[in-house]
Amino acid sequence: MSDKPDAALEADANPLADYVGDMAERLGAEGFAVDFDTARVFVAREKWVDTINEARKELPFFSWLSAIDWSRETEVGEGVAEPDELEERFEVMCRLSSVTDDKAIQFFATVPKDDPTIESLTGSIGGAEWHEREAHEMFGIMFEGNNNLVPLYLPDEFIGNPLLKSFPLIAREVKPWPGEVDVEGLVSDQDGDEEGDAS
Amino acid sequence: MTSREMMHRSEVAVSVELETPDMTLNIGPQHPATHGVLRLIAKIHGERIETVEPVIGYMHRGYEKLAEVRTYAQMTSLVNRIDWVSGFASEVPFILGVEKLMGVEAPERAQWIRLILTELFRISSHLVFMSSYPLELGASTPLMHVLREREFILELIEDVTGGRFHPNFSRVGGVKPAYGGGSQTKKQSMDLPAGFFKRTLEAMDRMDQIRDDIDTLVAGNELFKARTVDVGVIPADKAIEYGVSGPNLRASGVAYDLRKVDNYLPYDQVEFDVISRTSGDCYDRYVVRLDEIGESVKIIRQAVDIIPSGPLQAKVPRVLKVPRGQVYSRAENPKGEFGYYIVSEGGKMPYRLKIRSTSFSNLTILPWILEGQLIPDLVAILGSLDFVLGDVDR
Repeated sequence: MSDKPDAALEADANPLADYVGDMAERLGAEGFAVDFDTARVFVAREKWVDTINEARKELPFFSWLSAIDWSRETEVGEGVAEPDELEERFEVMCRLSSVTDDKAIQFFATVPKDDPTIESLTGSIGGAEWHEREAHEMFGIMFEGNNNLVPLYLPDEFIGNPLLKSFPLIAREVKPWPGEVDVEGLVSDQDGDEEGDAS
Repeated sequence: MTSREMMHRSEVAVSVELETPDMTLNIGPQHPATHGVLRLIAKIHGERIETVEPVIGYMHRGYEKLAEVRTYAQMTSLVNRIDWVSGFASEVPFILGVEKLMGVEAPERAQWIRLILTELFRISSHLVFMSSYPLELGASTPLMHVLREREFILELIEDVTGGRFHPNFSRVGGVKPAYGGGSQTKKQSMDLPAGFFKRTLEAMDRMDQIRDDIDTLVAGNELFKARTVDVGVIPADKAIEYGVSGPNLRASGVAYDLRKVDNYLPYDQVEFDVISRTSGDCYDRYVVRLDEIGESVKIIRQAVDIIPSGPLQAKVPRVLKVPRGQVYSRAENPKGEFGYYIVSEGGKMPYRLKIRSTSFSNLTILPWILEGQLIPDLVAILGSLDFVLGDVDR
């Protein structure tokens, strides 16, 4: 996949990268990436729960779980940098961290859009329930084994999954941006080394 | 039917229905003990709670969607409003994340100003807890007494940022020119207001005093102890499993503080202790926060000594374009780990912004912890988690 760097290319003198590479190998992951001090480990959807449970022996703290909608076309905001090369998919992500040092890994599993299901973590992580409920209502991802996938934030009668890129933001439809009085439009769009606050 | 007969009948009825049926008790969303709009559906058996189902989302504002149509600079003012009791503390990790993606580092003075403000907000947030928690347990004196002292912190914050709750003060690459800098020259007026450090140190003396006062008046109070000691115990492994962080985690014996671990601001140049206690009950959660006020005071006193002079803002382009990349940036909010996962596709707005809000994760343990507890303890346990509904609902 375009944004999954090859594990072999990542081998530099970074202790975090060494640790994550070693961890990814032990867990039988598909690949890993370490940039901006953020460690990402990519695992197969089928091995999602097993991998996370194994990793929790070293990184016990369940920080959060969420998803990304990778979509070529967007109703809101800016799209991806290279839409032609993008494989449309969901990425479910779960972050585990240590409670003694700064080690932490973010686990990613690719979930296809035509079959948005993944096994639930609630069997071993109690805290995952609410996070999965949120990801379910926001993206429409099914977490198999989570028996309480009722809406968490949204009202019961709400239709749609708001965080999908195909879901329009009504506020922006009604009042497009930038508006007439927005200063952002007045400043030239070049990356000058101009000093000053960026508001 | 004579009255004697009626009495007889009712006696019969009572003796037959001695069994207490399960009852559903609805607490909130408009209830003083729920800190805002939290609703709890409790199944109770007599005075015992069997299950609790929290209902949240009454204040859901859709921050993660809003972020996708806002520039990074615009988001700064929004992230203040997630946890409004400690607005600055949720601003810092966002700015640090964007800086990391852009490869920008704020000047040293700006970093120290961020550190001082973060700690001021930490004291302010803890003081809100110090005052409102006893009120929930029936002690109304600390509310006025402690909130009065908080006013001194808010005044300092207002002097610098212009706002009492929503500072909107960090900028990518530095901090905003201070609001109250009333000096003559342009250069000076960009900096902190005159006499800020002197007044900060004076306020810190007051904080020491109020910390001692709370220690005797509340934490040493027999009635307070009776309501909180050994109530609502969260074992360390459960806290870790549910992602409970901050003082709630440290009260359970896990001395984990991102200020020590991540060193995202110059915390390595000041001396302070990570406060932790072992029993994980409501009382420990209160005392951990109380002691953290003392540590924050210690940090601010040292920071005022150390803070170097210099510029407040690094050079950054006027229109922020953030290079492609993904970063998770976290910081120790007064309530625990607060983080942002920023996915940038090289544009002016994030492609995806995941907000790891502290109170949300801290609240996920609620159904587990309230199971089997007594109704009067519900308020004590709920309050001891110190959450803000805006932070839960995002």
